[in-house]
Amino acid sequence: MSSPDFSPVTVIGGGIAGATSAIALSRHGFPVTLIDEQPAAGGQIFRAPSPYARQTVPPNHEFSGGDALRQKLAASPVDVRFSTRVWGLSSTLTLDLIGPGGIDQLPPSTVVVANGATERFLPFQGWTTPRITGLAGASILMRNGGTLPGQTVVVAGSGPLLFSVAHQVLELGGKVVAIVDAGHRSDWFRLGAMLSLDPARLTQATRWMLRLRKAGIPIHHRAHISAAQETETGLLLTVSEMDHPERRHVYAAEAAACGYGLKPTTLITRTAGVQHRHDPAGGYLEPVTDAAGRTSRPDLYVTGDAAGIRGMAVARLRGLITAHAIAQDRGVISARTYETLTRAPRRQLRRLEAVSRQMLPLMNAGSAIPTHLQNETIVCRCERVKAATLRSAIEAGAEDLNQLKAWTRCGMGPCQGRMCEDSARGLLTAACGNTPEEAGSFTARMPFFPLPLTAVTGTFAYSDIPLPKAAPL
Amino acid sequence: MTPALQTRPDVFDTVIVGAGVMGATTALFLARGGQKVALVDRQDMFRAASGVNAGTLTLHMTRAQLIPHAIRGREMWLDSANWLGEDVGALATPGLSMAFTEAEEELLRQRARVRQDMGAPIEVVSPKEAVRIEPGVNPALRAAAYCALDGHIPTYRVGGAYARALRQAGVTIIENSPVETITPATGGGYDVRVSSRARPVHGRRIVLSTGAWLEKMLGWLGYNIPIRCLINQLVVTETLPPVMGSVLSIANGLLSLKQFANGSVLIGGGWQGEGNIHQGGTRVIPENLRGNVRLAQYVVPRLDEAQVLRVWLGLESETPDAMPLIGALTPDDDAFVVGCVHSGFTSGPYMGRLLAERILGGNPDLSAFDPTRFSTPAATGPQS
Repeated sequence: MSSPDFSPVTVIGGGIAGATSAIALSRHGFPVTLIDEQPAAGGQIFRAPSPYARQTVPPNHEFSGGDALRQKLAASPVDVRFSTRVWGLSSTLTLDLIGPGGIDQLPPSTVVVANGATERFLPFQGWTTPRITGLAGASILMRNGGTLPGQTVVVAGSGPLLFSVAHQVLELGGKVVAIVDAGHRSDWFRLGAMLSLDPARLTQATRWMLRLRKAGIPIHHRAHISAAQETETGLLLTVSEMDHPERRHVYAAEAAACGYGLKPTTLITRTAGVQHRHDPAGGYLEPVTDAAGRTSRPDLYVTGDAAGIRGMAVARLRGLITAHAIAQDRGVISARTYETLTRAPRRQLRRLEAVSRQMLPLMNAGSAIPTHLQNETIVCRCERVKAATLRSAIEAGAEDLNQLKAWTRCGMGPCQGRMCEDSARGLLTAACGNTPEEAGSFTARMPFFPLPLTAVTGTFAYSDIPLPKAAPL
Repeated sequence: MTPALQTRPDVFDTVIVGAGVMGATTALFLARGGQKVALVDRQDMFRAASGVNAGTLTLHMTRAQLIPHAIRGREMWLDSANWLGEDVGALATPGLSMAFTEAEEELLRQRARVRQDMGAPIEVVSPKEAVRIEPGVNPALRAAAYCALDGHIPTYRVGGAYARALRQAGVTIIENSPVETITPATGGGYDVRVSSRARPVHGRRIVLSTGAWLEKMLGWLGYNIPIRCLINQLVVTETLPPVMGSVLSIANGLLSLKQFANGSVLIGGGWQGEGNIHQGGTRVIPENLRGNVRLAQYVVPRLDEAQVLRVWLGLESETPDAMPLIGALTPDDDAFVVGCVHSGFTSGPYMGRLLAERILGGNPDLSAFDPTRFSTPAATGPQS
């Protein structure tokens, strides 16, 4: 074994995967910095609840699990930087940060990307009203804020979050008007059979489904919200059946929560230039990783849902395994020690992976929806680009997402296409017959989110500006 | 179209390599002049410099010798509805170049003088007058050069407009097709081998308009001209209430600043990023981002309310004498080049039209841009 290399490791993201990894890395003796945009660790699922939510939301596994993780992290020597975001990075993995103290840089280090998932959203006529939120957003509002998005809510989209959010609405005393699922009913039965491999998930799912059934909530499968109209008191939502577009159902509700599954957050990994691939089951782009999170760059690892959506239990195991793999790669532990340390987690991982992969088609059940987009529907909210504009650009010869972006501004706004990329890609592949790989992704650009200009400039005098030599006469 | 051409779809009167402003304009006017034209690009059209530049129409930053061309190019942009078929949104505004130090003021006066001599309506005005023209500027300035003939274009609208015009004119567009070799064909003309096609695309003549990639391709034809590749940084802000109404720059030319109709402010000026055109990929140098944005904020103090939305980099090519390459490469008049035009977006459409005119048998004065001025071709050019 060569002499161990204890140079610093930076973990981006303090969710279950990132925090677990950071703690394990520090136990191996690495100096670890953990960066997270929230004021406390926990990520999406273990997000620290507000004091109000602690009073209003019944005690649950996410609160207790999150508290335990936060305590463990606080007791570790990990250098934590909360309320801090990565807005850019260099080819050598210098990280550009913005935090409470303004702009900062972290010198090159080995980076573990654990920045989790982004919700996939698919637009429909009228979706930009503030009464419509994402499923993930609604969940944060309820779980961590203790607040309902409305007294009456239509929950729509695909994947397990659908039922979780519906359950949370009931838990806070709200009414779920209808559940609109893009997936097939039989998909859920198939998943149910698989869940015997994951008893924790099975128990939870059974509990949710029984409660939803008892409440007598109408559930539409193979359906989606096709239009929303604002009224004085709330929304009128039109639900269309995918296989029988003429069959429509109209519901009145104060709010709607809608989301079409999760996808890995790839801005950082794409900027770092690691290899990615399209996962057809999940319908998303993911970095190419081995089972321990190694990528095509030796100084960059990806762990947790950022490496492909597998859920919370897998995220913890992945975070742990990635930390041990780094210890092995750096010569801190032997291959044999790695095998011993990871034997149990790897076995658990294999079992849970099978269930998690089964979830992917359920989350991706809405993949055909963009082809039915009405011309007047806004696809890119930031730049207010309508489906008709995208279709005419595709007709004029735009064959990939970046050409479409260049010609229409779709995806050029503050969100960098997080909201519109999936539907723009759906329109492209449907119209040109090209594959999702050929349609590509919007090029990731710095800063990853808008930065206050004064944070970049700081305090300065004119003479501080290093003016380059004059342009030719 | 002759029956012979119909049965041999890969034979063209002219094959143009490089689908930016220069190449696409040449293609458009050649096709309208009756030629069968193919336009080839390594990626999609207008995705390199022509699609990502700052969209500045400027006589302040254009090289003094190119002022007459820039004036004509600017007129073409403002008149795009007539010759391109749609209005690309070019806007005529005043342009101010500013000096904040004594040295800058001297440079400002010198640059204004040589431009006046070349026909640019530029005059040096007092700080008070500058603030009257553009209330958004920092009143700490010492002097400003004022030009009535500046303006800007939302660059993103240009590519789509050209695509529609070229298709209508019957140009064959071959995108996402890096050119692998260009070889003289037996019986005249050139075979252009592209990655996407089994058979080469044959042109009775070729035009190279590949910007930063010209050096390599000129090498294939036996010309050894070192071409410098600039990696220019652009910064755009989120939309803001109106903070300025003109195109602003500073005396040494290293700032371009404008606010578009949608409220976003574009900050450019040629601050450098890092990158390699052969390996691909470009990256922002944080120090240069800070410098560029500080300069912008100093010139328009109200930018302190702005949010930086995006930073990107575009490639600009430059010859050793910073003058363009436009004209014939061979005595047989079957290979041409157009490119390396400083502030090329402003004069680009005019330069492309001039080359088309030249190929169609006209005799525009291109003597200052003769591509053979740097080197004479080697007896047999290497072909790889």
